[in-house]
Amino acid sequence: MAGSTIDHLIAMTVFLGAILIFVGLFNQTIQTAILYQRNKYIATKCSDLLDNILLNPGIPTNWGRSNVIPTSFGLQDPEFTQYRLSPFSLLRLVSASGTPVTYPKLGLVCSNTTIGFGNFLLVPYTKAINYSLATRLLGVNGSYGFQLTITPIVTVSITKVGSNPVTLSVNVKGAGFPLSNAVVSYCLIIVKPTGGEGQYPSFTTNYGTAYTNAEGSAILSFSTINEAQDSYVLIVYVHHGGLIGTGYYEHILNKENYIVPFIYDFGNEGGQVLLAHSWDVHGGDHPAAITYNATFVILTEDFTLREMPLGAGRVGLLNYGNDPHTYEIITIPTYNPGILVVTYRKSANPKDSGVVLMPWGISSLAFPVVFGEDPSSKTWVATDIRQVLVGNVAYQAKLALWSLEGYQVIG
Amino acid sequence: MAHITIEYVIMLPILIMQIILFPLTASWLMNIWVDSRRNLALQEVASHLGSIIQQVYFTLNHETITVGSITQKPDVPPLIENYPYIGNATLKTVLDPTMNSSKVLTITLKLKGTRTTATTTVLLGPNVVWRESTFISNSSNACIIAQKFANKTILLAFGG
Repeated sequence: MAGSTIDHLIAMTVFLGAILIFVGLFNQTIQTAILYQRNKYIATKCSDLLDNILLNPGIPTNWGRSNVIPTSFGLQDPEFTQYRLSPFSLLRLVSASGTPVTYPKLGLVCSNTTIGFGNFLLVPYTKAINYSLATRLLGVNGSYGFQLTITPIVTVSITKVGSNPVTLSVNVKGAGFPLSNAVVSYCLIIVKPTGGEGQYPSFTTNYGTAYTNAEGSAILSFSTINEAQDSYVLIVYVHHGGLIGTGYYEHILNKENYIVPFIYDFGNEGGQVLLAHSWDVHGGDHPAAITYNATFVILTEDFTLREMPLGAGRVGLLNYGNDPHTYEIITIPTYNPGILVVTYRKSANPKDSGVVLMPWGISSLAFPVVFGEDPSSKTWVATDIRQVLVGNVAYQAKLALWSLEGYQVIG
Repeated sequence: MAHITIEYVIMLPILIMQIILFPLTASWLMNIWVDSRRNLALQEVASHLGSIIQQVYFTLNHETITVGSITQKPDVPPLIENYPYIGNATLKTVLDPTMNSSKVLTITLKLKGTRTTATTTVLLGPNVVWRESTFISNSSNACIIAQKFANKTILLAFGG
């Protein structure tokens, strides 16, 4: 009798165990299936969201060209259709890549997309669109996180291959292949060490075109440059079969005292740029007053570069610290993408010169944009890409999207 | 005698109960799975439908288009696990003054014959008008209709 009871007890225990194992395994299989479906849904959502961002100019449509906070988020250029993005809407996005820069004199805290020395893009947070606002306007706050990256497709790298005369090699690459027989339009700005104390820097401009060879390279030689005395910058636009890329090369003698340009305001007719002394922004040794001379260069429809005159404040002297006149505000009277070129020199010594660039519109110096949260630590991230044009320059837009609602299926 | 009592009065009902418990558990788990699956599928369709409506709106809202109409057949499945679904939408003005009278279209889909529903919201401009209409997924004419008038008003509706 006792044996029969033990049989029953064992049978019942085994049966109970079997049920528990079954529930556990079945539950796990179901969770995996649901997770797969959820991931598929996130992938569809990613594609939809990317299209909604890229194929919609936002509301109001011209928010990129004003100080207005949009009520609907979109990056399409309102003057065009399809995947053409506004270089100025992109300019107003808070960069996720750079460390914020502060200008204490005016209490400006700026989003920073600066690439190396002399290529500044600083937009005050008060004028920029942050990630939190974008998620709310897109209707994904609390449910999805995202990161939008916009990177140029055509890579233009410039290297110096000779010093006497100065010879520069322009190397152009598409998506993994060299761009041969492409037209290279360039603008060379040389800061000359002329003028006495307190004079504004003088510069010469030199325009030209060249073609890339089968390896995607073009050699440019400039006999008018004396590297020991001249600072210079070469700006290059490359176009081939509708693909446009841009690059630049700088030779700067004075990196101790320089100009830092901040975007200050997006007006109706153009923008305002604040030019500040570097010592008031980054500090440093041996501060000295500097004089500057600003010019604006735009890419014309025939793919050549052209200077556009600037108004009041185009030239000036900037002090530092508590001295008077430590900054100047200049106006860029257009919303055509271009490059603000500011040549400068130490007020007391014309040979201590330099030049800094600031893109007016993200595309004019092919700056990349990284907007949103970092997806690297997220559990499951869907990505989608589109080829887009930003002010005629070819870019790739990539959206990474992930769910914020966790991965629990039951309970 | 005591052993027989334990065996037949306690153990046997428990074993029988477990036999019932096994399929009940399986059924319960299956129901959770089916509900989750349908819910996700319907949510995906709702989200995609909302995205299409938003894109149709912004296409017509472009300044180069003065008047015109679009009929967009959305690429959504007519059935979800053999069930058709119906959709309705309501348009409300956002009361937040910073949103400048933008309008929110709330789309609700319901899977026929089940209790599964899904909702998505789409932000549109102040010049949008929604016409009361129903989206019937298995209708051969299921579509999104958009019409822009000379006063820049854009009328949206489901067709079919």
